[in-house]
Amino acid sequence: MLSYYLRLASKSFRRTPGLTVLMVCAIALGIGACIVTLTVYHAMSGNPIWWKGNVLYAVTMDSWDPAQPYDPDSPKLAPPQLTYRDATYLMTSSIPKHKAIMTQLLGMLSGAPGQRAPVPVMTRATTGDFFPMFDVPFEYGGGWDAAADRGPQPVIVLSHAENEKLFGGIDSVGRTILWNGRQFRIIGVLKEWQPVPRFYDVVNNPFAEPEDAYVPFNWGPTLQELPAGPSSGWGSQPVNNYRDYINDEDVWIEMWVELPTAASRARMLAFMNSYWAAQRKDGRFQRPLNNHLTNVGDWLQVNHVVSNDNSILLRLAFAFLAVCLINTVGILLAKFLRRAGITGLLRALGASRGQVFCQHLVEVGVVAMLGAAVGLVLGVIGLKAVQGLYTAASVLDSGSTNYAALTHFDPIGIAWALGLAALSTLAAGLYPAWAVGRLPPSRYLKSQ
Amino acid sequence: MALNVRPLLSSLLRSRTGAILVAMQITIALAVMVNAIWIVSQRIAAIEQPAGIDDRNMFVVAIAGLSSQFDLSSALTQDLAYLRGVPGVIGATATESVPLTGDGQDTEIFLQPGQRGRSATVGELQTDTEGLKTLGVSLLAGRNFRPEEIQPFSKHSLEQSVAEIIVTRTLANVLFPGTDALGKVVYDGAGRPMTIIGITHDFMGPVDLGNPKYQTALFPRIPGAFGAYFLLVRTTPGRLDAIMRTAQRHLAGASPNRVIFFAHPLSFYHQRMIAENRNMAVFLSTITAMILAVTCLGIFGLATYNVSTRTKQIGTRRAVGARKRDIIAYFMVENAFILSAGVLAGCALALAVGYWLSVRYGLPRLDLYYLTAGVLFLWLIGELAAWQPARRAASVPPSVATRTV
Repeated sequence: MLSYYLRLASKSFRRTPGLTVLMVCAIALGIGACIVTLTVYHAMSGNPIWWKGNVLYAVTMDSWDPAQPYDPDSPKLAPPQLTYRDATYLMTSSIPKHKAIMTQLLGMLSGAPGQRAPVPVMTRATTGDFFPMFDVPFEYGGGWDAAADRGPQPVIVLSHAENEKLFGGIDSVGRTILWNGRQFRIIGVLKEWQPVPRFYDVVNNPFAEPEDAYVPFNWGPTLQELPAGPSSGWGSQPVNNYRDYINDEDVWIEMWVELPTAASRARMLAFMNSYWAAQRKDGRFQRPLNNHLTNVGDWLQVNHVVSNDNSILLRLAFAFLAVCLINTVGILLAKFLRRAGITGLLRALGASRGQVFCQHLVEVGVVAMLGAAVGLVLGVIGLKAVQGLYTAASVLDSGSTNYAALTHFDPIGIAWALGLAALSTLAAGLYPAWAVGRLPPSRYLKSQ
Repeated sequence: MALNVRPLLSSLLRSRTGAILVAMQITIALAVMVNAIWIVSQRIAAIEQPAGIDDRNMFVVAIAGLSSQFDLSSALTQDLAYLRGVPGVIGATATESVPLTGDGQDTEIFLQPGQRGRSATVGELQTDTEGLKTLGVSLLAGRNFRPEEIQPFSKHSLEQSVAEIIVTRTLANVLFPGTDALGKVVYDGAGRPMTIIGITHDFMGPVDLGNPKYQTALFPRIPGAFGAYFLLVRTTPGRLDAIMRTAQRHLAGASPNRVIFFAHPLSFYHQRMIAENRNMAVFLSTITAMILAVTCLGIFGLATYNVSTRTKQIGTRRAVGARKRDIIAYFMVENAFILSAGVLAGCALALAVGYWLSVRYGLPRLDLYYLTAGVLFLWLIGELAAWQPARRAASVPPSVATRTV
């Protein structure tokens, strides 16, 4: 029966090729727009470490100016970063399974075999737990331990891309390289790793590429390197040297902890609160108690990682798809009613209402699938066009977004968009198919 | 023209499904179009805000030391001496951050010491006596920095105090509304005084402080606290590319203890600064245009269908005396009814969407002029879309009435 219906459908398409093309194009445009906006939105709003969604927490404490909130637009939010004093104290806690503090440093890599000029690299200065806590995959070697953090020992982890660039992708573990003019031993090389968004660092552009080198956090204070990422302060003490800087109320350190159980979360929060109370007695933390452990999903949300523009565009694309579908319903209806005479004949010859319905639904289905296929092509072209709209980044530019990752052809997201679109087209076709089956056959037989 | 509306309406109500579907498209199209154009107009206004500096003729070279042996201060002095000697260079200066990049330092300044009194957040740009010339910024009042006022380089001079600053007109008005800011004293967070010695026209600094964008101040200070500095250079028109290339080559070879990160024309950052707004405007306009196109096709399709199913009635009407233009009028008025219904519902939806956008995303409320213009525009193109089918209807000969289909 299906093949017969398909034959009828193709006949009907050939009878009115213009209308058919119009319908397919309308659906394809709608689906294409949805694929583009959904892909970007999906990438932006994704939780790249969802399997740890409820065990990873960002640590925040409101150490800000008693006179005014950190962000006047969201006065309830604590600063997203911690002061050096608070971060190093919180790191003494043994409650979390893993814990890491981090900041960005500007580094200069030189001394690789055959390397002519030093290359600037954004470097993540962090503590050893960073790698196991965020499930960072290693190609060669591994991360460092607590002893390396304390030292700090001159150990460095390179990204896949940097190892490719400097060592041609070979196992470079054990070699030494100069980072800012000092000898560092390479102890690990990452596999390609690109969490989108870069959830652990929202103060820099969360859609920038991950750093190309990782060194123990304490190298910053040891070498008195100022953070390359944002640092904000409010204190009234003049800052004349590095020591002033790290003892001041400047916030510049992000902290993450892994707390697998509700009990450990409660204990961690209690630990933070008791530290807060003790410090408050000494005159710090004069703002209301606002200590938080925030999971990854909430963290991305409170820090507005998905821009308003993207959610507006997503909704716009759906409005467009709706218009396209309504249009298709109108065309299908007109088409089906025009050949109501033939349908009447079929009915008179014994075709049941259900069979007439099925026959027309098959026709709708073919239109939906053709539209989805063309829409997929349009969507891919659209994604390429979006990529072309953006300018390339350079190192030192944490402001530049890596749009290649955002417009990455994401099969799951696209399967979603396609399925949704095909289904909605079918749903839209239900009404015309039903309406034509409802017509009394006698009327159309008579008028012929 | 006496057009009898009753039979028109009753036939419209008899076969209403197609008309309702078209009206629904018009409703959505109007709501989307009006709000999209409203957003686009704001984005264009933001894009067109002048930077206030001669960014088209400026470029930046980023330089950093490789090791602690690097003598940043003397390297910087040599670089500037070289650049200022290059023919075609109007001005060159060294800074801690680059205008229009969004990366830089902002600071709170107060009218009274001890963080009291009126205050303003200020985007800092550290520069020397050549700053104004290099930026292409002119003084409205007061004077430029003197060489002895420039604070020398010192590592970690993050918030080293300065005694004089030059501010933009916007910043002067924010700090001293209604009075002359020139010569007045303001204080930094640590209570150290700074005298406003000059007021310039508005220009954008390194950080984007939202609206107004022009709360910028020049601080007389040699950069380098991060072990890196930026060389800003302004050239005579048309010479930028050539000078940037030679400068990059020369500076790279000047010392082995340092590295050049990059050299970019400032237009690169200007483009990046407006990119988000520009892209949003492009996306919104594209999708809106597609929605309008599909809606017009829907109107056209419905009118065509109506004409083709009513050939016999049209012939009959022609046979009993209706003129061609009566037939055209009939279809145009029918279309106008559908349009009006769609547009009316569209107004309500447009206002609802506008309200929702302002509540959910904090966008400014929809301007009613945009709604009015949108209604007129959609009505016009809606009627245009039905014009061709109506003309075809008018060409149906009266003799059709005498044939049986």
